[in-house]
Amino acid sequence: MLSYILRRILATLPVMAIVALFVFSLLYIAPGDPAVVIAGDQASPEDVERIRQSLGLDRPFLIQFGDWVWRILHGDLGTSIFTNLPVSAMIGQRLGPTLSLMTVTLLLTIVVAVPLGVVAAWKAGSLVDRAIMAFAVFGFSLPVFVVGYMLAYIFALELEWLPVQGYTPLSEGFWPWLENLILPAIALGCVYIALVARITRAAMLEVLQQDYIRTARAKGLGQGGILFIHALKNAAVPIVTVIGIGIALLIGGAVVTESVFAIPGLGRLTVDAILRRDYPVIQGIVLLFSFVYVLVNLLIDVTYTLVDPRIRY
Amino acid sequence: MALLEVENLQTHFRTPGGINRAVDGVSFHVNEGETLAIVGESGCGKSVTSMSLMRLIPEPPGRIAGAIRFAGRDLLQLPDREMRAIRGNDISMIFQEPMTSLNPVLTVGRQIRETLMMHQGLDKQAAEVRAIEMLTLVGIPEPKRRVREYPHQLSGGMRQRVMIAIALACNPKLLIADEPTTALDVTIQAQILKLMLDLKRRVGAAIILITHDLGVVAEIAERVMVMYAGRKVEEASVAELFRAPRHPYTQGLLGAVPRLGSSLSGASKRLAEIPGQVPDLRKPITGCVFAGRCPLVTDLCRQYAPGLEEKGPRHIAACHYAAKGAVAA
Repeated sequence: MLSYILRRILATLPVMAIVALFVFSLLYIAPGDPAVVIAGDQASPEDVERIRQSLGLDRPFLIQFGDWVWRILHGDLGTSIFTNLPVSAMIGQRLGPTLSLMTVTLLLTIVVAVPLGVVAAWKAGSLVDRAIMAFAVFGFSLPVFVVGYMLAYIFALELEWLPVQGYTPLSEGFWPWLENLILPAIALGCVYIALVARITRAAMLEVLQQDYIRTARAKGLGQGGILFIHALKNAAVPIVTVIGIGIALLIGGAVVTESVFAIPGLGRLTVDAILRRDYPVIQGIVLLFSFVYVLVNLLIDVTYTLVDPRIRY
Repeated sequence: MALLEVENLQTHFRTPGGINRAVDGVSFHVNEGETLAIVGESGCGKSVTSMSLMRLIPEPPGRIAGAIRFAGRDLLQLPDREMRAIRGNDISMIFQEPMTSLNPVLTVGRQIRETLMMHQGLDKQAAEVRAIEMLTLVGIPEPKRRVREYPHQLSGGMRQRVMIAIALACNPKLLIADEPTTALDVTIQAQILKLMLDLKRRVGAAIILITHDLGVVAEIAERVMVMYAGRKVEEASVAELFRAPRHPYTQGLLGAVPRLGSSLSGASKRLAEIPGQVPDLRKPITGCVFAGRCPLVTDLCRQYAPGLEEKGPRHIAACHYAAKGAVAA
């Protein structure tokens, strides 16, 4: 098992290398010349050339790439063209809010979506099932920003139960922290909840047909024990998979959600960096997200072995 | 004294093609400690009967009517909660497919402990001890190691032994075995049957054995009930039934059993088959259910359904011509 995890971590290296190459090429693929952007509208061609040289942009592609990778391996993600701050420091500042938002959304999703899916499968074909599935379609089709503004309008502006926007770090208390994250997490989680609930229902429907569920009934188990112990653990593999895949959805959604709720997180940083063509920052963020995603995939594979004893690596 | 009395059991399923009368008016009883075999071909309603006894038929689309009196209480009138307390405790069940009847993601020990903790109120340690005891009892070597294993680590025969251990863990009064040996190979079949008989003697449970294998019936049952198209067509003691089957269907079943070595002794005959098919249970049947396939059929059979009548000592059959049939056999 341990050797498997080690091997998997080693196997992420080529993946990360390809991601790195792609991320680096962005600079060349994307329209616009960073040297021109930095130099500003008033700059003469000589100024632009000077800046280009000082940034090393005049060197051959592979040399630049090698240099860049070398620095990343030493923990240096470069310096923002716009703020002149180290990219790692900028990301570090913004990591907390995004991590908080994603964690709360993830927990909310699991707590809401899995039971919904289980109940829908148990009551398959009934009114309850149809209501849950209708909700799932609804949640799936509403864009994050629509849900976000609706929630903010109803629960923050009209009812004044929760703050409209902003972010408070966890170090200033649990409730102030959570209070600011509830609405964004619901807005961001809608699609995710719909997705996970649907997959849970489908996986459970199949499991509930199995012979061992009949055995569990014949043993005199109650409905709860049958659904949540005997059936859910068997349905866990597809559910865990879709929860993991959904994290990619969360990363994308976080960008929009953070804009709607004015959360100073990575999403906002990304948007700002793209608008300013701040390539070192964009590269750093994309690299970080890719790395997180690769890690999440590893985590999913390891989780399989916990829920299904037949899966061994 | 009758432990279980089933009266006019009717299990019907609503289907798009009409109401399927899978079990239609079956009555029987099982005495304490007795082994009753229910015999019939696929689709005759024997499994549905056993599932109905446990109320494991999904309702809807199923509907169970009649009365199932177990130790004096009508199971069909019990609230779900009380029914659950009976399942796995007073009445337990073994299924045909040992490969799929155990939960693949829970340890064997956990699956045995579950019933003990639920029905007998044992704590985890006590249940674990008892689980190991049960595994020893059903002849699984190294039970201390096996309780920690998962079903996929066991062979089919082993898994059926585990199923038996689960079924007998709470000392049930009635064990329903639905084709317990069909999915196993022949040597293992014999072992499992012997095990069931041994344990039956030890625990004193009554058994309802559902099978289409007449060899198994002769081996372990005391009384036989023959089902056809959702009805009971004949019932007698095993010896009596094998000696003098009255219903043409039973005669057909017995005639369709191959005899080992018959071609060597020169007694080889073509295996008798029962021509035709089971009638469509979604259409109401007038007359005898077996009329379409019976060699002795007359107009009387097509018009009037025969009732179950005493045809011999504690031997009943539903056939207008049963006496004649007995002579013919």
